[in-house]
Amino acid sequence: MRFFSIAILAGAVLAGTTPAEAAWKSYISHPLGFSFEAPGEIKAEKGTYRGAVAGAHDTTVFRSTEDNIEYKVTVIDMSAQANNAASLLNEATYIFQDDRKLLMDTFGRVDRQYGRKLTIDLPNNGGRSTAAFYFVNGRLIELQATVLPANGDVDSPDMGRFVDSVAFFTVRARPDATELTLPK
Amino acid sequence: MRSSSLAIASGLALVLATAPANAAWKSYISHTLGFSFEAPGDLKTETGTVRGAIAGPQETIIFRSVDDNIEYKVTVINFTQAAAEGATLLGEMHFMFDQGKKVLMDTFGRVEPGKDAVYGRKVTADLPNNGGRATAAFYFTKGHLYMLQATVLPANGDYTSPDPGRFVDSIAFNATRAEQGSTELKLPE
Repeated sequence: MRFFSIAILAGAVLAGTTPAEAAWKSYISHPLGFSFEAPGEIKAEKGTYRGAVAGAHDTTVFRSTEDNIEYKVTVIDMSAQANNAASLLNEATYIFQDDRKLLMDTFGRVDRQYGRKLTIDLPNNGGRSTAAFYFVNGRLIELQATVLPANGDVDSPDMGRFVDSVAFFTVRARPDATELTLPK
Repeated sequence: MRSSSLAIASGLALVLATAPANAAWKSYISHTLGFSFEAPGDLKTETGTVRGAIAGPQETIIFRSVDDNIEYKVTVINFTQAAAEGATLLGEMHFMFDQGKKVLMDTFGRVEPGKDAVYGRKVTADLPNNGGRATAAFYFTKGHLYMLQATVLPANGDYTSPDPGRFVDSIAFNATRAEQGSTELKLPE
């Protein structure tokens, strides 16, 4: 019995030596109509997007990096072109995988919304990215997780956890979800 | 020299006599529905219905022909009132097509260049119970969902036939790209 207790104690001490990874938190944006979960400190910024069909657009980006995996949500307001939603969504997925090694290209389905999920290897051993694309209420929403070479675990389940955490029914967000601050 | 000419002539006659009589491909256009395509055989127009969890019940317009035991079918659904949900509606129809089938290919489709491009999906799947092989393309533009499907039936058996690809890739949304002399499609009343 004493030996058993010592073994448990030793195991607990060993477990304490694993790398300290940040807890996953839930985030929500009521104005943008979606929620997701991610680890690390989320920062909001602005960016740009351009597609032959979409044209040029400003983007809102929410980004964090944890354990050399980059988590990024990009939201693009395309409400003026919403009637072309199918082409805009598929153009974005096409651009994402263009000139890259495509490993997976399949359906995404969340809360009445069909989208696409893709996994690619980045060129020059730049890592592996999994992304999900949805077009909801005039907005293109892209979640992308990239395992960087410094992490090296390209089969990490964290990428899937991130892109599959998106929800468009706000009631599905965790009760303690943090409201995202939009960049000014 | 004479024997060579005779041999060529008789060979040509043999080929013409023994080759299966495939119908010529014709170009069809619908200015009302805003697209054109090519297909062989005698094209018939009918109406149908489709129901999706998201799309709900919808009436469809179907253009269909059968040639050499390959069925060519174009289905058009008017979603004008839900055009802003086109991405999800296209995804649902694509998903429904895949259900219960063995998917062999699932890739991008793109019609027209540059800013006028219409992006969609192209899929090839084996039908259950050795029912043949279907190649389909899905596009959503200007409030309409277009699905082209060519099915090589078991009686044909040539599942790598290039004809399904020729059919689904013949679609155009720019009327100027349709062949001159295209037949205007009659819509069901």
